[in-house]
Amino acid sequence: MEEKMSEENSEEVKVLEAQIQRLQAEVAMLQQQQQDNHKDMTIHFRDKCKDALLYICGKRHNGRKEEVLSKLKEEVDELEEDLQRQTKMNGISLNSCTTKTLQSSGSKLVQQLCVSGHCSELVFQVEFQLSENKESHERMISGLNVVMDFSDLQNFSSFLSGVEESKDLLLFFRTLRAFSDRCDDRRRTFQHFQEKYPSVVSLPGGCRSEVMTLHHPELPGCVLLVHWSVEVSREGDVTPKIDLLTKIPERARQMFPSLAAGGAAEAFQSLLRILGPEAAVESIIRAVSLSQDT
Amino acid sequence: MQGASTKGVLSHLNLLEVQARSRKVQPQQQQQQQSRVKELKVKVEELKQQRDLMRAEIQTHQNLQKLRKSMDKRCAHEEDEEMDEDSENSQLLRLMARHTQLKDFLHAHHLIGGYDIVKTRQGLCVSLATAYEGTYLDAYNLEIDLKPTLRIRRHNIPPFIPLNSLAEQSNMKTDIRAFLDTLSQHLNAFASRKQQLKLVKELFHESVEVMESNVLCSILVLMFTLPIEKNTAVLCTLNYTDHTKYLPTRVLFECEDKELPDSPQWKKNCSLLMETPVHKALITMKKMGNIA
Repeated sequence: MEEKMSEENSEEVKVLEAQIQRLQAEVAMLQQQQQDNHKDMTIHFRDKCKDALLYICGKRHNGRKEEVLSKLKEEVDELEEDLQRQTKMNGISLNSCTTKTLQSSGSKLVQQLCVSGHCSELVFQVEFQLSENKESHERMISGLNVVMDFSDLQNFSSFLSGVEESKDLLLFFRTLRAFSDRCDDRRRTFQHFQEKYPSVVSLPGGCRSEVMTLHHPELPGCVLLVHWSVEVSREGDVTPKIDLLTKIPERARQMFPSLAAGGAAEAFQSLLRILGPEAAVESIIRAVSLSQDT
Repeated sequence: MQGASTKGVLSHLNLLEVQARSRKVQPQQQQQQQSRVKELKVKVEELKQQRDLMRAEIQTHQNLQKLRKSMDKRCAHEEDEEMDEDSENSQLLRLMARHTQLKDFLHAHHLIGGYDIVKTRQGLCVSLATAYEGTYLDAYNLEIDLKPTLRIRRHNIPPFIPLNSLAEQSNMKTDIRAFLDTLSQHLNAFASRKQQLKLVKELFHESVEVMESNVLCSILVLMFTLPIEKNTAVLCTLNYTDHTKYLPTRVLFECEDKELPDSPQWKKNCSLLMETPVHKALITMKKMGNIA
């Protein structure tokens, strides 16, 4: 009698052991799948988001769905506020940020990040690898690749290649911000003068271009060009350069030999040094329009 | 006759004894087997739970991946008009996707070294990151009060960085970003120079002696020995007078051999040191056989 029972027991044991082996194999396969998903797109579940995940997976049923939802919404609202503040302070708006985990061994974590966004009107996409030592928390960047809109590239190309070589992610963004601020200065100034002196000032390339032209209302063909470029050196120095160019037709020069056309450019540079860009440009405009009214 | 029956009785008694003994053992065995079965059943349940949890996590991860991809494409956070998935958890999933996206954005902001900013009771705490050649170095913090006026309450910026004069020069009260930009320039240049000095000491601890340096790392005096004439030393002074730069503004060589600094080789070394970070310049100079 007992022998029969012990026989049945050992049968059951065998069945259970076989089941366990199958389940262990399934779990191992799922773990591998999880790792592969992680490599493709790393998603970290933190704080209330983790609670929500556990709710969906059926592990935690003590919180009702509304509670989980409202707590998560609260946290999301806080994060939106943080992001707004951060965006304003950095002057950089991000459109997308994807992370792939390339390696996550005992002490080292290597991820590939692709971040895209814009700084004012300048659009960028930055890709790099981030290695982190889990114990010392030392972080390193490698494989930096920066892509920008072609029309903005001209001033930037030597700077960009330098930054990719030195892997200076921080310098890229500092310089991008500075460049964008200087371009915004130019745009504001150009727009302001076009509105103030519409008969004299025109912007043939639009308000974001480098050139503002001044036409004398009574002397056709005599054009003064304000060329305002923003240069970026290889080391990331951003310098605005403003020049005055004159286009005076031959006939006018013959009639008015005293039109010291060459002197205008130098005179403008001294005005720039003394008055600064906006005031210097304004005095040129007034000289051209030869009018007393503002 | 009596012998045979005694034998029979004895052997029968023996048999009974053995049976009784084995009966005592069997329940123990049975108990062991039953508890083993219980153990295994518990293990099976655990594994089933783990498997189901993982399956649900993977499914959720895949759903979130899809949501994130479509969110990234949309570029701006628009109101979600379409409820395409009618699953009961779709609202929760959408929130989760936005949560992870926001966390990623904030992490990205932290990495691009703008100004990490945290709201405090009276104002803000700004953290400025520094890095050199792709390695993140020290971060510096400022606690700024916004009310009643904008002022710096606490900071861990080293004293040789002229914080107050920078704040005045860049009009911190009206344009805090301009102030932070200049401060960041100074701090990053300082961090670069400091790192360059560290690398010089690491890479050249046997051949190049650091005679003098200061905390701001704006003056560096090195002594090189020439490869062939071991007795001749060259003293090299690097002045970094522009504190927003990581390259020197002046390089001076001093040597017993008065002709040496004017030799074409050393004139080249002079421009090399003006244009390349010092540790890289030294590597080149060693390769060219100029220094030991």
